[in-house]
Amino acid sequence: MKHLFYFSFFLISFGVSAQDLLPDVALKTLDGTNTSLSEASATQSLTVISLWATWCVPCIKELDAISEVYQDWQDETNVSLIAVSIDDARTVKRVKPMINGKGWDYTILLDTNNDVKRALGAATVPLTILVKDGVIVYRHSGYAPGAEDELYEEILAQAD
Amino acid sequence: MKYFLALCGLITTIMATGQTPQGTLFGGFESNSQWLLDDFDLKVSESEPGFIAPEDAFRANSYFQLNYNIGEFTAGVQYESYMPSALLGFSPTFDNQSGVATYYLNFKHDQLDLTAGYFYEQFGNGLILRGWEDRQLGINSAFQGIRAKFNPTDYFAFTGLIGQQRNGFELSEGVVNAFDLNFDLGQKFQWSQIDLRMGGSYVNRFQDRGTNSAIPTNVAAYSGRIDWGIGQFYGGIEAIKKDPDVIANEGTLVSNRLYDGTALQANIGFSKKGLGASATFRRLENFSFYSDRLAEGNQFNQELINYTPALTKQQDYLLTNIYVYNAQPRLITDPLDQRAGEVGLQSDIFLSFPKKSALGKVGTKIAANFSYWAGLDATFYEDQSYDVEFIGKGNRYFRDINAEIKNRWGKSFNSVLTYQNIIADKGVVLGGPLGSQGDIKASIIVAEGTYKLSKGRSIRGVVQYLSTEQDRKNWSGAVVEYNFNAKWAVYAADAYNHGGEGKIHYYNTGGSYTKGRTRFAMNYGRQRGGLICVGGVCRFVPENNGFSMNLNVTF
Repeated sequence: MKHLFYFSFFLISFGVSAQDLLPDVALKTLDGTNTSLSEASATQSLTVISLWATWCVPCIKELDAISEVYQDWQDETNVSLIAVSIDDARTVKRVKPMINGKGWDYTILLDTNNDVKRALGAATVPLTILVKDGVIVYRHSGYAPGAEDELYEEILAQAD
Repeated sequence: MKYFLALCGLITTIMATGQTPQGTLFGGFESNSQWLLDDFDLKVSESEPGFIAPEDAFRANSYFQLNYNIGEFTAGVQYESYMPSALLGFSPTFDNQSGVATYYLNFKHDQLDLTAGYFYEQFGNGLILRGWEDRQLGINSAFQGIRAKFNPTDYFAFTGLIGQQRNGFELSEGVVNAFDLNFDLGQKFQWSQIDLRMGGSYVNRFQDRGTNSAIPTNVAAYSGRIDWGIGQFYGGIEAIKKDPDVIANEGTLVSNRLYDGTALQANIGFSKKGLGASATFRRLENFSFYSDRLAEGNQFNQELINYTPALTKQQDYLLTNIYVYNAQPRLITDPLDQRAGEVGLQSDIFLSFPKKSALGKVGTKIAANFSYWAGLDATFYEDQSYDVEFIGKGNRYFRDINAEIKNRWGKSFNSVLTYQNIIADKGVVLGGPLGSQGDIKASIIVAEGTYKLSKGRSIRGVVQYLSTEQDRKNWSGAVVEYNFNAKWAVYAADAYNHGGEGKIHYYNTGGSYTKGRTRFAMNYGRQRGGLICVGGVCRFVPENNGFSMNLNVTF
């Protein structure tokens, strides 16, 4: 146990200087086509990736809140948002009707066996990351109302 | 432990010599701990002693994951520690254990993806095979062995694997070999309007039978599935047949009699902007598949090859989480509790209104859900054989009708109203035989409001009420949460069982700090005993009181 903490500390301190490349993990589109995280985010220089689930109330609040201002964000910074659902077989069938029922304009990808969640080390959702040219420049987990404003400030800073 | 030290040594060496720039190191550390405290008032009746903290009052589950990627190769290890005991309610196989739990080496090149060591995998819906990890539930059903994925074209994919499933820090006795094929016909023929995919899987378990020649060494399951989409409609169907196998209960064979198993799942949906609807039907008959035949029905969900979640809405308010469904795929021939599986359906509808309409102006979004699950209608005979209807009129296990309305009242206030009406079989919720103990009928109302203040501060309040004549009668609940900004949050919650014998407050309070790669949360309070369910899989947690801490760091 002591070793564990020692090494964690040691590696975490190293980790800060590690490169933050976006892991290249396979996942599926809503139509069932194979794609990967890097492929999906390659079309734009700036991409927000949000890990969410249909059963996660704060995730939906976050995506609802961004949805209200998403058009403005896109117009001003050309940012795009990929909402990666970590719903597994139990709830994944609710993803498609829910996103349309909500009227979200995001690119939706499915991570049904949580490979992306594991690769990003997300213990909980929502996890929101900002990717610039394949490098993770900002990450935040959890959602409190107003966190989308902080995210947008970060997007503006990176967009310049 | 030896491996771990060696690995750390290796990394230190690499780092010290400064040869890392080409590769990427990533991973995370997670620790969930609790400190249990005596609580003599936590009891339903006077005769009970209340909660007495076990000898190992401090418990922690810690996970340290480290991966290194260089070019086409990625390698990783996961070290786990459950010292001195695993968290309350986890499988005792983890108690007082620590060490390297999983490791892998992966090679990816164009169409080929090879993994040696431990890997997670899912075929189709997971109904036939799913190796996965859920730390909150104490599930890690990774396979140890070899897996190959081959995608020669964009319309054909193959996965083959052989391995043994993880069971605590050991491996399950059975060896699983399996493969999965997928064709995307829509892609192949470049259909623009129609989306059509077909898939098939084969999963075989080999397990030594010792001296009992009446039971099979190989048990295989075969699945076929089709998924389609035309315009705004979509759907899918999957059918699985499992070879005859013995059934077991609490670690012993029930008899040498063999029973085959089947699963059928079909879904259909409609989706356009502002409106979505879907329905799923599922029938499971004797459909539990474990990597050790004697592991069948173990309460910690260990050694499960496939994944049969409860298809009901996953609730997450305090009081909507008391009466939850748990899938019932097993065949049980015990005269006191005979069942052959489950059949039922779930449907959902989601609506949002155009921004200019009266309801749209206040951002109205409606979601409604219905589910009904029953036991299979079966007749059992003295020789332990049975006849079963396809649907029939089996005992009702669970029925749920719920709806929620979300509104946005201007820029700073939004609300959620939820109503739920449940009928649950007592056996499903409280344990014991199913279909003979009567029902619990409950109605629940939840009102939630969030008020956004300036500078990222916000306050959230939830009030809830559960009314029922059965079990522990009525409950009230409340939660208040205050966010200082996106980083700091505190909350206080109480679920008060005032209708029952004990009149117990299940109070909780805590806070969390989140910044970038780090999240730390701390809670103090009482845990209501019962099923803790994540993703349709449940584990039982006894009533307890104490502190809990969660730390998660990723890099």
